[in-house]
Amino acid sequence: MSEKIRVLIIDDEVDFCYFVQKNLTRDGRFNILVATNGKDGIELAENEIPDIILLDLFMPDMPGEDVAAALQENITTAGIPILFVTALATNDDIANRDENKIGNNYIMPKPVRTKKLIETILDILGRS
Amino acid sequence: MAEPLTRKKTVFLVRLAVIVITSYFIILSPSTGKQWENYGYIFIAIYLLTNLIVAYIPDKYFYDDKIFYGFVLFDSILLPAGIYVSGYVGSELYLMFFFIISLTTMSSNFGYLMVNTLFYSFIYGWLLYQRGLLTGPDAISYLIQIPFIIIIAVFYGFLITTRLKDKDIRINEARERYEKIVQATDVLMCIVDYDGKFLFTNQKLVKFYGYKDENNLLGLTISQLHNEDEAETEKTLNYVRSVYKNNETVHYESYDKNHGKWFAHTLSPIRDPSTSNVFEVCIISKDITDIMEKEQKLNETVELLQRTRNQLIQKDKMAALGRMASSIAHEIRNPLEIIYMGVDDLENNIPSDNKQMQESIEKIIKAADRADNIIKNVLSFARQSSYKIIRLPLHPLLNNVLALVEQTIQKNGVIVQRDYDNDSLEVAGDYNMLEHVFLNLVNNAIDAMKERKEKKLTIRAYKQLVTDIGYKIGLSPDDFFRIGDDMIVVEISDTGKGIAKGDMTKIFEPFFTTKPANEGTGLGLSIAHMIMDRLSGTIDVESTENEGTTFFVKLQSEIKTTNTAEV
Repeated sequence: MSEKIRVLIIDDEVDFCYFVQKNLTRDGRFNILVATNGKDGIELAENEIPDIILLDLFMPDMPGEDVAAALQENITTAGIPILFVTALATNDDIANRDENKIGNNYIMPKPVRTKKLIETILDILGRS
Repeated sequence: MAEPLTRKKTVFLVRLAVIVITSYFIILSPSTGKQWENYGYIFIAIYLLTNLIVAYIPDKYFYDDKIFYGFVLFDSILLPAGIYVSGYVGSELYLMFFFIISLTTMSSNFGYLMVNTLFYSFIYGWLLYQRGLLTGPDAISYLIQIPFIIIIAVFYGFLITTRLKDKDIRINEARERYEKIVQATDVLMCIVDYDGKFLFTNQKLVKFYGYKDENNLLGLTISQLHNEDEAETEKTLNYVRSVYKNNETVHYESYDKNHGKWFAHTLSPIRDPSTSNVFEVCIISKDITDIMEKEQKLNETVELLQRTRNQLIQKDKMAALGRMASSIAHEIRNPLEIIYMGVDDLENNIPSDNKQMQESIEKIIKAADRADNIIKNVLSFARQSSYKIIRLPLHPLLNNVLALVEQTIQKNGVIVQRDYDNDSLEVAGDYNMLEHVFLNLVNNAIDAMKERKEKKLTIRAYKQLVTDIGYKIGLSPDDFFRIGDDMIVVEISDTGKGIAKGDMTKIFEPFFTTKPANEGTGLGLSIAHMIMDRLSGTIDVESTENEGTTFFVKLQSEIKTTNTAEV
């Protein structure tokens, strides 16, 4: 039995976290960790070193970009791919994913359905 | 030299001389009959008094015909009467001759007067000789009477001729003055009769209509001058006749198509002095083209300012709305995400045979999709995503837009006319953005013509030199187009129902639509407007209700380096 993919969700939208966790867990291939603010997210990432981080751009305590920068500065978390899931992006923004990378990171517009989210995560991990 | 000898002064001096001579006869008379002597002094007094009147009477009365003849008669009677009362004459014939000469004076002809005087002087001399008076002891005093009569007659003659000459000079002076005014004035002036026939014209008018001199115009009528403009002729004639009818001055303004000039006309009655009836009409026409043009320019400027102001407000509103749309999109997409995720969760928990539940889920997803779609539109309105301004050929782009709507055009029976400049035009822009703008305008045009009989869509594309100041067109660094630059203009005209006047200012506002709720989001034109802003171009509209609408898209032909996209 292969190792499950460890996904860390950092998003202040608690219900979003709840459903992502539920749907991805049901899929069977994922192990989900949840942080509902930036500070907890960074701490959790350092401790658990997930395979991928789903990161919100707008959070009350700190912006997603700052969280990403902090993670990348830290050697232990620097290599973890980050997927920004944001309500501000449009499909045009991700028409060419490579161009829309924020540094080494990826971007995905909200709303997204479970199937597409899983595909994107697998795609990113398969590529990196 | 002091002031020159005026006619009045001459009369005064000659009369004074006559009075002195007559007084000499009266006072120092060598004759025997002195019974009238006292009356003689009264005569001298009266005569001196009249000379004082001559000296001080105002010119106005001195040159009056009635007063003049009264004065001549008075002199004619009083002078011989004075000499007679002096008892010097000794012959009542003397009186008679004086009266005859006085009457001759009325003839107003100097030569006639002189011939008469000489003729009667000769007869008088002959009669004196016959009576033997010329050989007696008083011969000298009798003989002196003849030259005295002649001198008096010459004096009268002088008065007559100078009076007439004076009158002529005065009339000529007045005429010349009026002539000068009429010719020097800057207005067109003429006098016409009831049929509009010219009786007089000034040089200005003669030259304006391209004639050599006044004589070529006299006898012609107004209609012959305006022969290409019958309505104008009719109007002028009606005004002329109204002056005849109402005996009142009228004013009106008109445009002379042949000369391209505006005129302000004043038609005044010229009245018969005795009956006060109008017998001619004087027309004075002043060129007011400059004033009218200035007024028009002012109106245009005010309109432009108004429009610019509206557009600025519009831009402001759109910027604010853009920011708001961004936040709203963000706030709505998050709950939408939860709905999608929740539905995904539910779908997995519904038994596959529960069709009812599955249908409900589908309906929820559909509604969420619709909401997401609106958000996408709003967001693309709020911030146009990635674009790249390059120089690209315009004609293929326009043709491609028309190809995209080919089916709709066929279905609606719209006739398309392409009117492109021969030279292939290049514009600075982003292909997708421009396609979006033109597609939107073409679709709107087709929609506007749906219920119209004539369905004609015209697309014009041409290069234009920027000459007039307008919205974002001028000399300021903020302006998109500078005076003297080239701009590429695309006109999209339809023969549709047009835009209601009240809607003209609103059409670029987000969410403004005249289409039914499910047919249009009301974002098309506002997005087009915003795109044009991004491309440093402008979009304007002209529309007449029930005739059609034209959109003017003005684009850069070169890439502007200074203009950077904002968000």
